[in-house]
Amino acid sequence: MLNFNTTIIDTKEYSEIEISVIEPILKINLRGKNRDFITKIGKELSIITPIDPNTSSSNEKLNLLWLSPDEWLLYSNDKIDIKDVNSLEDKLFREISKVKLGSVTNVSDHWIMINLNGTKIFELLSTGCPFNFNNFKNSKGAVAQTLINHIDVIIHNKNFNDLNLFVRRSFSSHLWSWMNDSARFI
Amino acid sequence: MFLINCPYCGERDQSEFSAGGEAHIIRPKQPTELSDDQWAEYLFMRKNIKGIQFERWNHAHGCRKWFNMVRDTSNDKIHAVYKMGEKPPIK
Repeated sequence: MLNFNTTIIDTKEYSEIEISVIEPILKINLRGKNRDFITKIGKELSIITPIDPNTSSSNEKLNLLWLSPDEWLLYSNDKIDIKDVNSLEDKLFREISKVKLGSVTNVSDHWIMINLNGTKIFELLSTGCPFNFNNFKNSKGAVAQTLINHIDVIIHNKNFNDLNLFVRRSFSSHLWSWMNDSARFI
Repeated sequence: MFLINCPYCGERDQSEFSAGGEAHIIRPKQPTELSDDQWAEYLFMRKNIKGIQFERWNHAHGCRKWFNMVRDTSNDKIHAVYKMGEKPPIK
């Protein structure tokens, strides 16, 4: 049984930085290697599967992030009704897993999505992250998997100065505390 | 600290990677025919040279893919990075 209850449901505002946890969001991990798998995802989701490293693609409901040459993360734009959480997963499972094209794993309860927006968000992240954000911040749709304060994160540059950050549930409170503490000094 | 050019993600900080030891060690085809010494040689004995070494690395906090690297252990200069299964670009 998926646990969608996050320990943090909050929004904090600082000088030109706003941090908020947005949950529940549907997140599905997709893994597969062959061309049929990539075509099938595109067909089922009406979305172009990003095959270039560190990129993503989106439609009005969903975002698909490149994680590695054979792995993608699908997440919904809006909060979902918990009752409907299995419908898309079931559809993908039938079309992909059952016919052995690849694997479909619901990771909605594994990752917590934190939205950051404001002109100083990259200054905040840079205080605890080895990643170079110079090119990243100007590339809409760019994706990076890196470390922030030694915590694994996936960062999706959704729009100019507006990004979604995914952190594992068990690390989410720690990262949330760290970000709020650091944001006070930016 | 140094930068590593992951063959999948691009240039990233070394802290995102894990070293996986010496590369290009071939598993014996018939392990049962080996003596204990020969098996131990394959299993445990690794070069630890000062100079150019062929190594396996994993982008543990990124794409989680393994790849090979040619690195000078005396000054951390990276001579080449190449994917698993590919032949080393330099000898």
